[in-house]
Order: sequence, then structure tokens, then C-alpha cells
Amino acid sequence: MTIDDLIQQSGEWLKGTGPDSDVVISSRIRLARNLSRFPFMTMATPEVRGEIQTFVRRRLEEALGARRVQYFPFAKMATIDRQLLFERHLVSREHANGEGERGVAISPDETVSIMVNEEDHLRLQVLRSGLQLEQSYEQIDRIDTDLEQHLTYAYHSRFGYLTCCPTNVGTGLRISVMLHLPAAVLTKQIEKVLGTLARLNYTVRGLYGEGTSPIGDLFQISNQVTLGKSERDIIVELKNVIPKVIEFERVWRHKLADDEPRKVEDRVWRAYGLLKHARVISSEETIEQLSYLRLGVYLGIIPQVPMTILNDLFIFTQPSHLQKIQGKVLEAVDRDVVRAEFIRKRLAAL
Amino acid sequence: MICGKCSKNHATVHVTEVVNGVKKEAHLCEECARAAGGKFTFSITDILANLIEPPKGAGKAAEAAAPRCPECGISYTQFKEKARLGCPNDYEIFKAGLLPLLEKVHGSTQHAGKTPHTVESVIRKETELVRLKRELDGVVKTEDFEKAAELRDRIRTLETELNKGKS
Repeated sequence: MTIDDLIQQSGEWLKGTGPDSDVVISSRIRLARNLSRFPFMTMATPEVRGEIQTFVRRRLEEALGARRVQYFPFAKMATIDRQLLFERHLVSREHANGEGERGVAISPDETVSIMVNEEDHLRLQVLRSGLQLEQSYEQIDRIDTDLEQHLTYAYHSRFGYLTCCPTNVGTGLRISVMLHLPAAVLTKQIEKVLGTLARLNYTVRGLYGEGTSPIGDLFQISNQVTLGKSERDIIVELKNVIPKVIEFERVWRHKLADDEPRKVEDRVWRAYGLLKHARVISSEETIEQLSYLRLGVYLGIIPQVPMTILNDLFIFTQPSHLQKIQGKVLEAVDRDVVRAEFIRKRLAAL
Repeated sequence: MICGKCSKNHATVHVTEVVNGVKKEAHLCEECARAAGGKFTFSITDILANLIEPPKGAGKAAEAAAPRCPECGISYTQFKEKARLGCPNDYEIFKAGLLPLLEKVHGSTQHAGKTPHTVESVIRKETELVRLKRELDGVVKTEDFEKAAELRDRIRTLETELNKGKS
């Protein structure tokens, strides 16, 4: 597998086949881990960073084998390739743009990615379609346990798994559920949802756009507490909360369609028309219009667009993906033209 | 919106200033906002740093007397400023300063989750004990006495096992 191969496929989480995928785009679980015999990244010299990467890479290969994951070192990787991994949600923005010896191990189906030398020595991640918290945790837990036979983690009887930042200590577990909440946004109910979740100690942020005005109606809900609760407790709590949000969004979608059918239909068809015929389109506008189109597919207004196409359009219209498909560097203005063409072709083929 | 200063990046920091009755708006990217003196940025590090207790006493003397990690070399002041640890050993060295932060962020200072297989089973039992006791507190509150009795039995068994290990 090479980075270019990623262009020919789309990850498991993009198939849109997971449970509740009409509202939940993806479930992500990550574990923060550090090695006991090295300083944390804050105090690691370039030599030590190199040593950690060599050590971890060898252990990963021993523990998981080349069939389960493949390692990509970042030091000599082109910026556009690192950016592509970020757009795929396989590495963090910081990891893609960072410096020094670091890298990522990825499974062929893109459900597993293990970042090496991010904020912690190891960041193990599982990303799956829809709401799959238990399955995702089981998968990451198995990898963590396999890995543990081959290296010694920094662990403390009182504080659990030790991390560079004290906000991750204990389980090192962060669950992030990505939700599409267009009805909650359109009916201005979103503040209520976000406020309630914040009071329950969950972090909610817009996936795109800035703080108060997220675009595309995509929100990420994550647990904040990692210490004092077991992994199972953290999962169960979130498993009780998320369905409430899903139900709320569904109820408001139907209410919206019942109360103002013309307005909703108009918005959906306009989005479809715009995406189908635009000659120049920015990524912000794409994300925004795709959100209405997704809502339209759910409400049966435009049933002919499959979820996989929506997800593909969402991922493949990002800057690095477009440039990789075209096989050349493109300025923003040119990207907007290529993006419009890409979307037109995909929608025309239906 | 594009940053008003560098005209390159996406503006994510929006500032409105009123000077002598004249309203001025600035839309900056993270980088430019930071360059403008950092007063417009809001960072998690600053908040965390505030939750760490300052070294006991005052002034330079207290700073010098505060612990320093013999393994990675970071001082208490460095730890407090960045709210990041330098090595696993720091959790012991800076324990006193860390506890209030952990209590504030997590509402707990005791791990109750997974234990590596390489760690002795004793620790696993101790963690389980803490978890069971917490669960017991919960069911006592809801007056689920049947469950409470079952939990007490499990706690007793675990405690006996742990005490055997010690003698």
C-alpha cells in the first residue's frame, strides 16, 4: 500500500454503512500511550525522537505484523501526502504539519492508525462508520494488548497510563463521535444540545468553520474525563447520551419537513442544483451544500444519491485529495474549478 | 473569512475594539493573533497552568527550592508554565502540584481502568477495589440493598486476597 493507493479506495468509515449513519458519520476511539524508558515528547531531543520511532516501528511490526498495519515515516514524506492523511482523518492536523522524526502505521482498511511521536509516543486510533463504540473499543483494546507484550508502557498504580498532558492521563481514552445535525441547526435548537452536552462534561466542537459558526452542520462530541472511570464506564455513559442526540435530530428533521415542506424541499433542490451545475466552488460551499443534500436524501426528497457518494464528495473534494487526483499542485482558484468538475461528474454518473 | 493581516490564512480570531467611541474590527488567523501579543488567543495551556499550585513560599528562593526532576531535568516552574510533563517520573516528582489539577479536570485522582498485563495482578485488584467501592457508594444512594450486599461480598473477597499477598 502506498499513499497514492488511498486515492483509489475509501476507508471503512466512509462507506456509510454503520449503525445510525443517517446522523452519526463516524466513531473514533483513541488511546494515548507512552514508553516507560523514554522522556515524553516535550523533552525528547531529535536523537531521542529518532530512537523512539525506530524502536516503536520495530515493535509494531513484531506485534501486529505487516499484514495488519503498514508504517509510513513522515520525515521524507511530501507535505501533500501528509495533508492527505489528515484529510482522511488518519492523523491529526498537528501530526501532519509537525516537525522531526514521526510517522503513522495504518491498516489496509483504514480503520486503524497508530501515530508515533505525536503529543505522546503512541496514539492508537480506530475509526469506524456510524455509531460503533463497543466494536471500536474492542478493536483498539486488542491492538493495545498485543502491543503491550512487546514493549513497556509508562504506567502508574494511582494515575494509570501516563501521558504528556495531564488531561489524557488514566485510561488515555478519548472517544469522538462525529454527528450531522442540520435540523438542529436550521431550527436553532443546536445551542440547547451543545449546552446540555457541555454541562455533562462532554466537549463539542464544529468540525469545520470557527467556534460559533460551524459549517456543514458537523459536530464532534468527545469525553473530557479520562481518569477515575473505567474504559467501559466512559463508553456506557456516551452510549446513553448519543442516542438521545440522534433521536432529537431525527424528530426535528421530520418536524421541519412537516411544518415547512416547501422551504425544506427548495433548500435541498437548490443544493443539488448548485452541486450538479456549478463551475467554480470552494470547499466551504461544498461542505455547506452537501449538508443540505444529505438531509434531502434522508427525507426522501432526493433518494437517488447514495450515502457513499455523499461521503466520497465530502472527502475527495478536499485540497490534497483534488491535487492527488489531478497529479499536480493546484492553486486555490484552480482547485475550485477542478472541485466543481469532480462533483459534476460524480453526480452526473448517477 | 481571510485574515486581515497576512491575507493568507483563514481568520479564526475576531476582535472588536472600541477606542474613543470608534469601533474597530479585526479578523485574524491564529498565527497573526498570537503575534499580536497573544492577548487575543485563548489556550488550554493557560487554563491548565492556572490549576497547578505555585511552589510553596514566594519569590526566587521558593522557585529554587521547588522540586526538579532528576531524570528529565524539568523544574517545577517549567512544569507549571507549560502544564505538560517531561517524563513518566514527573508524575511522582510533581505529584503535589498535579493533584488539584487532576481533581479539577477529571473529578478524580485515582485510575480505575485498564492495567497492563505486565503490571502485577495486585495493582489490578486494587484498581478493581476502588471501582467496586465507588459502585457501592452509588447503589447505597439509590437504596439497592441487594446489589450493595453483593458488592460488599466482592469487596471483602478482594481485600482478603490483597492482604494475603502482603503477609
